[in-house]
Amino acid sequence: MPHTGPARSTPADPVARLRRLLGPSGWLDDTAARTVYARDASHLRLGRPLGVALPATREAAAAVLRACADAGLAVVARGTGTGLSGGALPADGQVVLGLSRLTACGAVDETGRRVLVGAGVLNDQVSRHARSSGLHFAPDPSSQAAASIGGNVAENAGGPHCLRHGVTLQHVRRLAWLDAEGRAWSTGCGAPGIRGLDLATLLCGSEGTLGLVTDAELSLVPVAEAEATLLAPFPRLEEAAAAVVDLLADGLLPVAVETVDRAMLVAVEAAFGFGFPTDVDAVVIAEFAGAAAEVAADGERARRLLAGAGAPDVRLAADAAERARLWQCRKRAFGAVGRLAPSYVTMDVVVPLGALPRLVTDIQGIKAEHGVEVATTFHAGDGNLHPGVHYDDRDPEETHRAHAAADAIIRRALALGGSITGEHGVGVEKLHALPWQVDAEAARLMHGVKDIFDPAGRLNPGKVLPALACDWTPAPPVPGEIEVRRRDLTVTAPAGASLAAVQRAAREHGFWVPLGGWFDRTAAGPGAGSLGTVGEAVDQNTTGPALVGGLSVRDVLLEVWATDGQGRDFHAGAPVFKNVAGYDLTHLLAGAGGILARVRAATFKLRPLPPVLAWWTWRGDVAAAWPRFEAVLAKRPAEPGAPVVVADLAAGFLGVLAAGREAPWDLDGLGEELAVAAVSLEITGSEQTPSTAVDIIPAVLPDWARGASDWFALHAADGGPSAPAGDRFLWQAAPRTLWTPVAPPASTDLVCDPVWQGGVPTPLPAPPDGVPRHLLQGLKDFFDPDRSLPTPVWLQTGQETP
Amino acid sequence: MSETGLRNELEDLLRRCVECGLCLPHCATWLATGNEVQSPRGRLLLLGDVLDQASPDPAALSALDQCIGCRACEEACPSGVPFSLLERGQQRAAAAAPEPALPGPVLRRLDRPGFLAALRPLANTGQDMLAHLAGRTWRDRLARIAAVQVLGTVPRGPGSDQSLVALLDRLTGNSGPWQAPRPAPEPDAGPLGFFAGCANRGLLPDTSRRLRGLLEAAGFQITVPGNQDCCGALAAHTGRPGRAARLRRRNRRAFAGAGRIVVEAAGCGLELQSRADGPEAEAVDAVVVLAGADLPPLATLGLAVAVHDPCHARHGQGIVDEPRDLLRSIPGVRVLEPDEAEVCCGAGGAWGLRYPHLSEELGRRKARLLAATGADLIVTSNPGCLGRIADGLARESVEPPILPLTDLLWYAAIRAKG
Ligand SMILES: Cc1cc2nc3c(=O)[nH]c(=O)nc-3n(C[C@H](O)[C@H](O)[C@H](O)COP(=O)(O)OP(=O)(O)OC[C@H]3O[C@@H](n4cnc5c(N)ncnc54)[C@H](O)[C@@H]3O)c2cc1C
Ligand code: SF4
Ligand code: SF4
Repeated sequence: MPHTGPARSTPADPVARLRRLLGPSGWLDDTAARTVYARDASHLRLGRPLGVALPATREAAAAVLRACADAGLAVVARGTGTGLSGGALPADGQVVLGLSRLTACGAVDETGRRVLVGAGVLNDQVSRHARSSGLHFAPDPSSQAAASIGGNVAENAGGPHCLRHGVTLQHVRRLAWLDAEGRAWSTGCGAPGIRGLDLATLLCGSEGTLGLVTDAELSLVPVAEAEATLLAPFPRLEEAAAAVVDLLADGLLPVAVETVDRAMLVAVEAAFGFGFPTDVDAVVIAEFAGAAAEVAADGERARRLLAGAGAPDVRLAADAAERARLWQCRKRAFGAVGRLAPSYVTMDVVVPLGALPRLVTDIQGIKAEHGVEVATTFHAGDGNLHPGVHYDDRDPEETHRAHAAADAIIRRALALGGSITGEHGVGVEKLHALPWQVDAEAARLMHGVKDIFDPAGRLNPGKVLPALACDWTPAPPVPGEIEVRRRDLTVTAPAGASLAAVQRAAREHGFWVPLGGWFDRTAAGPGAGSLGTVGEAVDQNTTGPALVGGLSVRDVLLEVWATDGQGRDFHAGAPVFKNVAGYDLTHLLAGAGGILARVRAATFKLRPLPPVLAWWTWRGDVAAAWPRFEAVLAKRPAEPGAPVVVADLAAGFLGVLAAGREAPWDLDGLGEELAVAAVSLEITGSEQTPSTAVDIIPAVLPDWARGASDWFALHAADGGPSAPAGDRFLWQAAPRTLWTPVAPPASTDLVCDPVWQGGVPTPLPAPPDGVPRHLLQGLKDFFDPDRSLPTPVWLQTGQETP
Repeated sequence: MSETGLRNELEDLLRRCVECGLCLPHCATWLATGNEVQSPRGRLLLLGDVLDQASPDPAALSALDQCIGCRACEEACPSGVPFSLLERGQQRAAAAAPEPALPGPVLRRLDRPGFLAALRPLANTGQDMLAHLAGRTWRDRLARIAAVQVLGTVPRGPGSDQSLVALLDRLTGNSGPWQAPRPAPEPDAGPLGFFAGCANRGLLPDTSRRLRGLLEAAGFQITVPGNQDCCGALAAHTGRPGRAARLRRRNRRAFAGAGRIVVEAAGCGLELQSRADGPEAEAVDAVVVLAGADLPPLATLGLAVAVHDPCHARHGQGIVDEPRDLLRSIPGVRVLEPDEAEVCCGAGGAWGLRYPHLSEELGRRKARLLAATGADLIVTSNPGCLGRIADGLARESVEPPILPLTDLLWYAAIRAKG
């Protein structure tokens, strides 16, 4: 995909040009700046930059990139340098492009629950900015006070509360970014749960090697009404790990589950004196958030479970202040290790949740074998561990042992089906370990992605991907049948399996994939709640009009096996909740309409099955009453299951299906609220059934909803409320979508995608303006040069000139 | 300690820095510049060379010199890197520091209350005249002249009791006659030496008087030794250790036998506390004394009040709860916390005079954040902060007035029924 930009003169001295461009406070090339910007939080060193550019606007950042392009200089993006894998480190002669001055914060859109911020805004600032609107930015890396949003995006950062809410990618609606030539692009239309090649999937976690993020439109989530935080001291670490698995496998859905081992507790206590016990092997911190009654009930259930698992003295954080202090101590734990030893290597391995106790035991063995000390913090609920091996870097032998032990831990995590990195990224630190995880074909595709985005190789060269000529690991075998791994909270299924079969298998264990797709598809087409197969779900990033859903396919997809257009098989992702090892091919495929690769199997996250379903019906003037219903339903959280409305205006019929807890405060409460909203409407029916009896639902649905062969998906670009369109519609609270069986009238507010026509998916729609089509074309050309896979018309025609 | 011993100790302390960067968002100079050279981590990375080399890199020296010394980073650091490290760097840099923005004779006289008192009307009329005559743009241009800029930051209190009462009456809707608080009939709270402080004495004498009134009403026996002098901080920070030591000796004599010393300016308090050859009596911040005092009844004031903590109180002396407790002790007052509450306002004593532009920018930032709380009123307890933030509020054209906390308390006392 060769591209020729407008010809530019090449000035002799790029430094002079940069200095002219940025002025003395925006271009720094004295020794002090070159010393400081040669470092980040990783403790690694590569070299000294030529200089540091600190543009104050995105236009100036673009100009810096153009100047560097003209001079052939490599550019290393930098946020605040809190990265732990050396991603922001420059080699000799490279230019550091710091985005810390892009600090504009847009107004919070309360209905759309989103905000547009500059790349230099700090993670924590976003939440502080949104707090008065009752919202916050969910990803909360322990470094959140200092890490920039650009850096969070570039590393696809996680954090304790990502257990419930998902990592950064799940909260990125749209990115404004610059390519290596300084051209400005966007990634999409900003509505969640939409079809299309979303370049945000690649930019997230790309560590500044594909493009520079200048602004991010982020999703915000409501601040919970109530929170309960439990602190459970365990005499033995293995018991703590097993208790975490039990807690989640039992069907509780905490917002965060963290663990701190004894060595770390001692350091944290010495540093902050929170009052953690230091005479135990580990402490488990579990937090619940939501409605007050829900939190109280879950907190109590968790307390009993933890007590039964070996922690008799579970303590409940007394109030918000204590909770805040607890998290502050947990989040500052990493820094406290500075008190333990002169040097340390911090790992970031992830394993399938059920393997956590095993890995913990194995690490004890590795410690003994290599004679090293290890202190560990865990994002335990995510199966993500940060074992820190301590050593004295003045002692070469000890240094060697420490690194050998670290590699042994990484290998062990991989053997258990895990990943080398969950959130810190590959950077330079884990380059050597990436081939241990990724197969050769996936590596070839990742290199292809890099070449398409940055053909001259000037964006953060030498990071993320080692040379292609390496010993890559073989891909795991393609699963042949549905396998529910309850203790991992995952389900793997071949692409041809019907989603209904997957849901049935999961339901037997009390779990589901929070997507809908509960019934076998009828002959006519993907009726409500009955999309066909796993493969289709991944391709379309939707299960069709869901009946109770919550997340988008992309949000629950963890791993895929696929075949590219040339018939080469590859495997991407891992059966773990966080994974930033290399470019994210897994999520690139979600919603790609099958144009890049044919999916052969996939692994999804499981969530506890909402215990009950409720179904209410009304008759009356639906159009007039709709806003009142919507106001009530839009407030429902996406989990344990987002409600769905089936409406027929001509028939004066409206039905609400909601999933929830078997408790007066939940579905009964919702029923009451709806009854209040309905005022003049007559409630004709209301029943609650255990969700295991889901099969009765089709019986209550109108025929048109069950058997339609055409479905149009409408998304409000602002993510906000959608108006009823046409006579019949299905409204889904999350991901917010309006489905209609007939073509809706044209609207400027809504993005319409005719996902299914005549029972089959339509070709992938063209991307909105601002998305670089030449890159989509480049991806298509690389993945499917012979066009043996479905190819939408807009990709058949010649290249767009950017 | 031997040279190598010192070197090893420094090296060990430096190694404590795990380079995590968690201190960055607490550092005012980084927030204002986005430049990591002007951050605690950046300065620590440069410190080794600065201390080691005979003629260190000027850019590194300048980075250390631009450290305000606010200590916000020390508190934020999870690894326990002590501020004393940066202080060493600052001292090393002070020698090679750039020319002060103010001429030496002016700078050196800033620790003389008389000089400051003379400055007060000049600052008042000077600023008002500028604002009136020059209009916004010219005012901004003129303000680039350091001396003019500094004039804008000279702390100005509300002045006489009448004007204070008028201001707060307007905010609270109170009216009518009032009476100053009366000393407790049986003063049983113990003796207190009163440290006058140059800036307070020279620039905010009415506030000092009201503080004394409150303390006496709370039953303290106040003595104001006439032979006391400047705390010595300014002299120490502008490279005149001899004068600083002389001043400390004088104060040690003046306060001999005093039980506790009450100090209004947090910078003076910290200076008095941290030098072994200062007064023997314990120097306590006025806010701390007030928070523990049995104050007269306070009127209900329907005010939303944002607090600004002086760095030398918050980071230097750990005073955080006391001003809030005091405010909450006034019925009807709602306490508001600004974003970045722990970040320096840019006053920084002599630092602000040496880096007037950076200082101004920080003052504006602080003013914006304080105003963004939606407060009716801002309070603080340090003259430097008061001046810096008042200037920021004026430059940003944002509304809430700023007052010494003491003045608000005094007003609540005089407006109490009965
Ligand atoms: C104490 C501590 C705790 C941490 N805890 C967590 C945690 O809980 N979870 C977690 O995920 N991480 C954690 N981290 C790691 C780190 O904070 C995150 O990776 C963070 O997202 C990095 O942000 P930054 O702004 O510091 O990026 P930097 O370190 O400056 O850069 C990181 C990478 O992103 C690239 N980059 C930066 N900005 C941009 C941009 N605008 N556009 C394109 N590329 C860019 C850089 O080139 C580099 O490759 C922790 C780090 C520390 C020191
Ligand atoms: S917070 Fe402490 S350890 Fe971390 S970079 Fe700053 S000074 Fe160093
Ligand atoms: S003392 Fe203040 S100005 Fe100096 S480095 Fe620390 S936070 Fe920054």
